[in-house]
Amino acid sequence: MLLQMEKITKLYGDVAANAGVDFTLEEGEVHALVGENGAGKTTLMRILYGEETPTSGTIRLRGKELVLRSPEDAIRAGIGMVHQHFMLFPSFTVAENIVIGREPRSGILFDRKKAAEEAARLSAEYGMPVDPHRRIADCPVGIQQRVEILKVLYQGADIIILDEPSAVLTPPEVKELLAAIRGLARRGKSFILITHKLQEMMDVSDRITVLRDGRVVATVRAADTNVDELSRLMVGRELVPLEKRPARPGDPVLEVEGLTVRGGRGKAKPLLDGVTFTVRAGEIVGVAGVSGNGQTELVEAIAGLRRIDAGRIRLCGRDVTGADARDLRRHGLAHIPEDRYRWGSAKEESVADNAAMGHTDSAKRSGFLLRGRLRRMAEAWIAGFKIKAESPAVKAGSLSGGNLQKLIAARELAHGSPLVIAAEPTRGVDIGAMEIIHAGLLKRRDEGGAILLVSSELTEILKLSDRILVLYEGRIAGEFRADEATEEAIGRLMAGVTDHAEHAVSAGRAGRSDGADLAASRG
Amino acid sequence: MELLLDVSLYGSTLRMIAPILLAALGGVICARVGIFNVGLEGLMLTGAFAAITGNHLFGDVWLAVLFAVICSGLMSLILAWLTIGLNANMIVVGVALNFLASGLTTYCLSAIFHVKGSYYDPGMAGLPKWDIPLVGDIPGVGGILSGHSPLVYVAFVLAFVLQFFLFKTVKGFRLLAAGEHPEGARSLGIRIDRIRYWAVLASGVLCGLAGAQLSLGQVTQFTEGMTAGRGFIALVAVMLGQNHPLGVMLASLLFGFMDALSIRLQGYALPTQFTMALPYVMTLAAMFLFKDRAYLRQTGRID
Amino acid sequence: MRILRRLADSLRGLVHPLAALAAGLAAGAVAVIAVGGSVGETYAEMWKGAFGSFYYLTNTLARSTPIMLIGLGVALAFRAGFFNLGAEGQLLFGALAAAVAALYLPAPPALAMIAALVAGIIAGGAWSLLAGWLDVRFRLNLLVSTLLLNYIAIYVCSYFVSFPLKDTSGSAAINQTNMIDRAVWLPKLFKGMSVHAGFVLAAAAAVLLFLVLRHTVAGYHLRMHGSNPLFALYGGVRRGRLMAWTMLASGGFAGLAGAVEVLGTQYRYIDNALTAPGYAWSGIMAALLANSHPLGTAAAALLLAALQTGGMGVERNTEVPLEIASVIQAAIILFISARFTRALLKRRKARAADGTAA
Repeated sequence: MLLQMEKITKLYGDVAANAGVDFTLEEGEVHALVGENGAGKTTLMRILYGEETPTSGTIRLRGKELVLRSPEDAIRAGIGMVHQHFMLFPSFTVAENIVIGREPRSGILFDRKKAAEEAARLSAEYGMPVDPHRRIADCPVGIQQRVEILKVLYQGADIIILDEPSAVLTPPEVKELLAAIRGLARRGKSFILITHKLQEMMDVSDRITVLRDGRVVATVRAADTNVDELSRLMVGRELVPLEKRPARPGDPVLEVEGLTVRGGRGKAKPLLDGVTFTVRAGEIVGVAGVSGNGQTELVEAIAGLRRIDAGRIRLCGRDVTGADARDLRRHGLAHIPEDRYRWGSAKEESVADNAAMGHTDSAKRSGFLLRGRLRRMAEAWIAGFKIKAESPAVKAGSLSGGNLQKLIAARELAHGSPLVIAAEPTRGVDIGAMEIIHAGLLKRRDEGGAILLVSSELTEILKLSDRILVLYEGRIAGEFRADEATEEAIGRLMAGVTDHAEHAVSAGRAGRSDGADLAASRG
Repeated sequence: MELLLDVSLYGSTLRMIAPILLAALGGVICARVGIFNVGLEGLMLTGAFAAITGNHLFGDVWLAVLFAVICSGLMSLILAWLTIGLNANMIVVGVALNFLASGLTTYCLSAIFHVKGSYYDPGMAGLPKWDIPLVGDIPGVGGILSGHSPLVYVAFVLAFVLQFFLFKTVKGFRLLAAGEHPEGARSLGIRIDRIRYWAVLASGVLCGLAGAQLSLGQVTQFTEGMTAGRGFIALVAVMLGQNHPLGVMLASLLFGFMDALSIRLQGYALPTQFTMALPYVMTLAAMFLFKDRAYLRQTGRID
Repeated sequence: MRILRRLADSLRGLVHPLAALAAGLAAGAVAVIAVGGSVGETYAEMWKGAFGSFYYLTNTLARSTPIMLIGLGVALAFRAGFFNLGAEGQLLFGALAAAVAALYLPAPPALAMIAALVAGIIAGGAWSLLAGWLDVRFRLNLLVSTLLLNYIAIYVCSYFVSFPLKDTSGSAAINQTNMIDRAVWLPKLFKGMSVHAGFVLAAAAAVLLFLVLRHTVAGYHLRMHGSNPLFALYGGVRRGRLMAWTMLASGGFAGLAGAVEVLGTQYRYIDNALTAPGYAWSGIMAALLANSHPLGTAAAALLLAALQTGGMGVERNTEVPLEIASVIQAAIILFISARFTRALLKRRKARAADGTAA
């Protein structure tokens, strides 16, 4: 056994990101680590790469105990990591990126010629063709990832951790990646793949470990299982009983047609690709999916905070494609943002000031702010949503995450807008606050509001939604009515599994989900 | 017009751009590690005053230059500590540093030399003029290239040295990495904070040289606020030169030429104010050519 | 009860500026000792020079007038998140416009005075708006563009007063306009003293700005944008519009400062007379000292003016030069800029305690 991680536990305050996790890796093995957001996969690998220290537990490499205090220790031990967001230097060449930190030199001079030779040698030896002289910024994402892997190999890694490697790749690039992994494994390198995309990884992995809520649910050989079983293990919870009144959807409030948002420079894959759906008055439409599949871009595009490259958006019948936040709010949009500190608040300002945003029209007289009215509004919300704040005068930054989120939810719901976008409304929020925010959303829906709920928390989606869409790789992979949804079906779509492509890799259609057809056939 | 063919115009160009070029090179090093050094103006002023003071104290021009470098270096450490160590807003600290330099130099001008406005000692020796043996004899061009203060030559040599350092050596490579992607560099074990301290200190040293050239290079004189915005022009030269030492050298040549031209044109019918405003107008026009990406990122407008 | 709590909060907000003041005075003390002076004597003379008699007190008030107005304009821009450092240029254009209006507008004196003040506001505002437009339309770095426009303004105004508008009757050495007719002057507040109606305008402007920021919708949007521009964008604030109005107002304050000096103190536009005393940079310092709070900026302007007039007193009666004021001022600003960081340090330590590796 090459690597043994025994009883790894990592506590953040009271929360256990990892609880007694056992994980092993053999030489030449490809071991996939799967699970939903917050399952603990990233934490476990950050511990292995020395970016975090475990609260308890041991790591053994070739039988000897290993203490890792920093990434340098990990690199020295032969452990390399390719992060989800590459750590490459855009204006440097491929060769420079590969050798950085261990540059070949002659005296004080950087021997770039030797670097290019080294890069070419490695590239040939491991069967991963790259052009050493090309600038990274000019390389497609698939090549960039190859460079990251070569860099790690140059540093002498025997164990290579890949964090969500196929997230940014197009299907042909995924094929090349999987072939490269297989080739390297044959030469004795070992891989740990962090992923939520079961279909793609099934074909290349030897073993699969499923994490849920910080614990190991199962470790199985790929040959002994299938994607259905795995996605069930990944998501695995009881269907939450529906406590809400049946929906009576009215006229369409939000109509999204062919929404497309392209990626940045060098990224061939669009962040959103032809997304089409409708949200009606009096219904909650939940968009499920593992975060990173386009959710953020979807919300920002509809809320007027991001440029739209193609497609149309209609709000209450009016074409609002390309409108800015100000116009959208005036035409009936409210938005509970995903990142409450970045978009949703100004933490140096008072609670009252934060509460007033968007409400100044209803609390003004000839340009003057009726501060008394705003303060009373804030006080009403503090009481109604049970927000723990001494008074509306305290700084918003002093509120806990949950309380701030309650304030934002109260503020946005209080508009009575036809459309409310709720993006990860209860992320990082305690149970009590979660209940209150959920109650607020349901109340708005019962009053006739249309709610677009975007969340990576499947429980939340199942609890609140009247209709469920699954977003995968920037496309709608599937659509369900609440009463016909099963976690198994949703989980499969979230993991990229499609009905007629169980072994999509070998069938030559790597990772491509024909979600549109699926949605159409289910209506 | 025959003005443009006047050899001494080009000679004075080279002389006048030395301070801007030196400061701009300091700005380049800082920019390459992600620091927009607004304090170049104050550092240059400190150097200019320290050079005069040093010359007065030690009676030796070279010790004066050394003194200028040390004083500016110390000032730059204040900026470094506040910005890097304490994470203060680099623009506020830069502006504050300019205030401090202005106030301190004026105070010391009064306290040490007992004069207001400017100090001029006719007996004080300035920087020597170096006649370069073979070059000086070349007809036409020789008059331009030879006969300048050593710091002028140092400025141009340093431009090439810095270009070499950044793009040919390992240390330079790592400095570039630290500025391009700090997180990535840190994950490789590159000491970012240390590199940044050295960068700011280097800019202090270079501004010390720039100031010394200002006050000792042509006439040995210190005038209140004599940097007159050169530090900010240097910043623009950095932007225009795209953070490349040689590019910055070209940009500085352009600005210096404008500066020298404006002084020459004073002899002609044009009112002095027009010609004196010319470098600043040019600088503003130059800003249209280069969009400052760091600034755009700060205001959240990269999309 | 709420009033007590608000009082406590305000007092807590004063701790940092007062600490910076103390530190500045300490630095000044060092500078005094370095030239062999006596700290006690120096500071006593400083106090006398600023407040020692009614005459000196009104001098201080008079000096504070342009500093206060400029400071308010700068505070407004900073509060919105815009680094407008172009106060000097805006001040000069305002002064020149006011002088021109006062001299050449065919109108009854009272009207001419008001027109001159308005002209000053518009001229300063327009020059500032130019920089704002360059930022919004061409994405030009506001900080550098406002600084460059300062120098351009200095030379353009200098040209006007040295050639077309020059008063050719007096000595050729000074470049100045004709003197403004007595009837158009801003009245002095006390007979024989230098403080004029401009001070009242400045004080009123401080209160007005305070009320606007606190009690209007526009002020609210401005404050939120300065605090978190993404939050403002999310809430529907349009950056371009906000920048235009803010720069216009900010420059308008500086322009008014120039107009008020021309109509109340100098009675003409004199080349260099407004740049030499460093009003613009003092105004910027006042805004930084008070963290862009309008009333605090007014107080800081008084403080800086007191330091400056006090400095003159020090030079009159001791061996210490008047620039001691500059040293103290600069030291205060540096300590203030360090203050943002103590709160940040605390947050960093808290994060490190979580077990996250470097």
